[in-house]
Amino acid sequence: MLKSWKLKEIVLMSLFGVVFGIVYLLFIHLGNIWAGVIGPIAYEWMFGIWFIVSIISMYIIRKPGAALLPESMAAVIEVMLGNAVGPRLILSGIIQGLGAEAAFAATRYKHFNLFVLMLAGIGAAVFSFIYGYFVSGYAALDPSFVALMFTLRVLSGAIIAGVGGKYIADALLATGSLRGYAISRTDKGDARA
Amino acid sequence: MRVRESVFTLESVSFRFPDDSEKTLDNISFSIFRGERVVISGPSGCGKSTLLYLLNRLYPVNCDGMVSGNIFIFSKPAELYAPGEINHRIATVFQDPDSQFCMPTVEEELAFTLENLHVPFAGMETRMVEILELTGLADLRHANIQSLSGGMKQRVATACALIMKPEVLLLDEPISHLDPFTAKEFISWLDELQRQFDLTIVVVEHRLDAWETFFQREISMDGNGEIIADQDFSARRPILFPERVSAMSGETAISVTDLSVKLKEKMLLNSFSFKAKRGEIVAIAGPNGSGKSTLAKALCGIHKKSSGRIQSDGIGYVPQSPEYLFLTQSVKDELAFSGLASREELTELMERLGMDGIKEAHPFSVSHGQKRRVAIGAMLADKRPVLLMDEPTSGQDEAALYELFDLIDGRARDGSTVFIITHDMEFAASIADSVLLIKDGQLTGKFAARDVWQNEQLLAEHHLLPPKGVAKLAESFA
Amino acid sequence: MRNLLHDMNPSVKFGVVTVSMLAVAFFFNPWTPLLFWVSVLALQIALSRINWKIWLLFMLPFTLGAFGYLWTTVIFSAETGGTVIWSFAGLDVTDAQWTTALSLSFRVMAFSTLSLMFAFTTDPVKFIMSLMQQLKLSPKLAYGIMVGYQFLPVMKDEFIQIQQAHRLRGADTEKHWWQRLFSMRRVIIPMLAGAVRKAERSAFAMEARGFTGEARTAFYRPVQVGRTDFLLAGVFMLLLVGSCVGGVILSAP
Repeated sequence: MLKSWKLKEIVLMSLFGVVFGIVYLLFIHLGNIWAGVIGPIAYEWMFGIWFIVSIISMYIIRKPGAALLPESMAAVIEVMLGNAVGPRLILSGIIQGLGAEAAFAATRYKHFNLFVLMLAGIGAAVFSFIYGYFVSGYAALDPSFVALMFTLRVLSGAIIAGVGGKYIADALLATGSLRGYAISRTDKGDARA
Repeated sequence: MRVRESVFTLESVSFRFPDDSEKTLDNISFSIFRGERVVISGPSGCGKSTLLYLLNRLYPVNCDGMVSGNIFIFSKPAELYAPGEINHRIATVFQDPDSQFCMPTVEEELAFTLENLHVPFAGMETRMVEILELTGLADLRHANIQSLSGGMKQRVATACALIMKPEVLLLDEPISHLDPFTAKEFISWLDELQRQFDLTIVVVEHRLDAWETFFQREISMDGNGEIIADQDFSARRPILFPERVSAMSGETAISVTDLSVKLKEKMLLNSFSFKAKRGEIVAIAGPNGSGKSTLAKALCGIHKKSSGRIQSDGIGYVPQSPEYLFLTQSVKDELAFSGLASREELTELMERLGMDGIKEAHPFSVSHGQKRRVAIGAMLADKRPVLLMDEPTSGQDEAALYELFDLIDGRARDGSTVFIITHDMEFAASIADSVLLIKDGQLTGKFAARDVWQNEQLLAEHHLLPPKGVAKLAESFA
Repeated sequence: MRNLLHDMNPSVKFGVVTVSMLAVAFFFNPWTPLLFWVSVLALQIALSRINWKIWLLFMLPFTLGAFGYLWTTVIFSAETGGTVIWSFAGLDVTDAQWTTALSLSFRVMAFSTLSLMFAFTTDPVKFIMSLMQQLKLSPKLAYGIMVGYQFLPVMKDEFIQIQQAHRLRGADTEKHWWQRLFSMRRVIIPMLAGAVRKAERSAFAMEARGFTGEARTAFYRPVQVGRTDFLLAGVFMLLLVGSCVGGVILSAP
């Protein structure tokens, strides 16, 4: 799979992961402490932020793996920085990436319109929720509470990651800095597809 | 006569990027021979870097570009080399000191290079020690690369190239991000190494004056990607800027008294006091890390001052990367963002700054010079008549420097006060009315410009090279 | 002795930590995670040199998180029956609910301690080198990750500079979080544009030094798996199995 990748594309995904890592660190620590106090549900609405790098990378590079790899690489970098969530972050990164990747694979990497991007956000949300269900023991919680968490996460995946990801990638495209990447080569074909 | 061995031979080579309709390189032919020191010159964007990337085989694969004609490297067609095969014989140092490393420390970066070459474990240590000695970087072996100065980073990049024992060293505008003082040191260091290693050196460069007599041969290109001359190299005089008459008026525009900035008990600026008039152009100069940027940021309010007073009509700031300031998706909106200027004022301002052609463009997609124009426009539209520009001369080619000269001169004529942080005394001598010298967070003083250029000791104390243009002038008077 | 955890092969350590977490996740009794938490802590005290002040600082948010887990689980736990042990504000808490709540909270503590053990005793560069040498991670990915890692401080600085520049232009007046979420675009776009530039430059620099992404034949710093690694992994597994079995026995009615 890696044979068809240019090094500059791989490094790009890594750096995108770093950008969103920084954004997460310095921007969205909105009341991390109270999030701790009100329990796991506090994180749900912003889960999409974790998935966004998958969606942006795939939307720009359009190669199999472009959703899985950046998410996994970003997770490894987080662990290298001593992220206190630790090694299991790598596992969750891979699983989230696979979730987003699944949506693109299901459409055979042919369509990259808003619908597919939102679907990828949802894919990442569903995969990560299944993993969380197991590791964090959601099984012990009231099913209706679990359902609420699930809905929040799916919405966050679709809106923050899917819509937000497209919004950011389109804004980046407008700056003219994505010359030479797949997104600049395909013209508006997808909007029609 | 000995037959000279060809390192590169190009026969009517043309090159086009897949996204472009026009060729970047057009019908290029030349041969470069072993042991030569060649410079490929031309304005920014003329395709000289592209040409260099064809010589080290980064292109065409990396950009899916279309090449026609023949390229021979060591007399073998370039396309017959496997990926990476040629790169240890032809090493490259790039332009941007900040982004040519992948490992945290010097040692790890050198090891990365050795591992790429499949050097056996037993040979690595000796080779590393040897190269660190030869390049004088032994003390930096365990240093964190990103914490080094730009000049040191370029030396580390060169050491990483030389550890491959290359036959050819390519350099892509290696001094464009260095200040003239550091650049001069780098060039004489390189000169020494070339003799030691008996290298063939090919440099892509747009500012030749700093290189003095380093080269033997110059291949010049024009803006259309064609070769216009291939001849013996002759040392260049620094760029001559037009004579200008000071626009300084009698009215004080900014007055700073006892300004100090302290950060975590560290005195970054110690009690600065100075004034500047409307229409005055002030160069701010001093060694790296002396507090120039801190001063600029403290003046415009980004950094909190610990004590002192700043009185002015409004101070604007243009960072080295002007795009940091941009908030909107078009140049027009960028100027209108704060809503402080009326529609008439904006139209007038855009006309004055020559931005009519780019009004609708995305502020990120215009050229670097134009970005700076937009940033200045935004500051003026925000009613900040005192402008601070951080290193506007860094990495600019001749045409861009003329444009910058006109831009700054024009603003002073309009009654703005312009502070320019710069290491480039050539530029400062041509435009500044006065010079603010800073060292170790202390203000040495604000001098009338003409008093500074002859004072070599004062300049040397601040790591500055005296402007050659002025030196020439003084000689002719003597 | 105190170096053992620091010198342990990072890939082996990574494997041990991951396996432990996955295994403990199967248990909903309070004793298993508690026992495991205590044993990891003991191991860390015995076999590492850690600045415990910083460690405590890092543990604080997790402790709060564990508390959050405790009460959400008490209130929102699935209907499992059991006897009511106490009532509070019209809410009945059964012993079964209380047990799961305790279990999940201890799980948070155990996992956090395990994670911090990894973070505090593992050299990041050595970790990547080990992933490449032991787990056959592709060099393209490994060095791609390294580029991101070493750029992080630079880009953090860039982020701050952009924010400062925006503040100068009066663009940070948004008070509400949704406005801030939208205004993020303004900071992210220049960062991403810069990332595109940096990625290409770094990749070119690496390729110009002969990097092709193929496997390496020799390493300057070989990372090996030795007997102590097996031994340490064995100790961890023993503690893990002990905690699992012990937990089940202790919580049997």
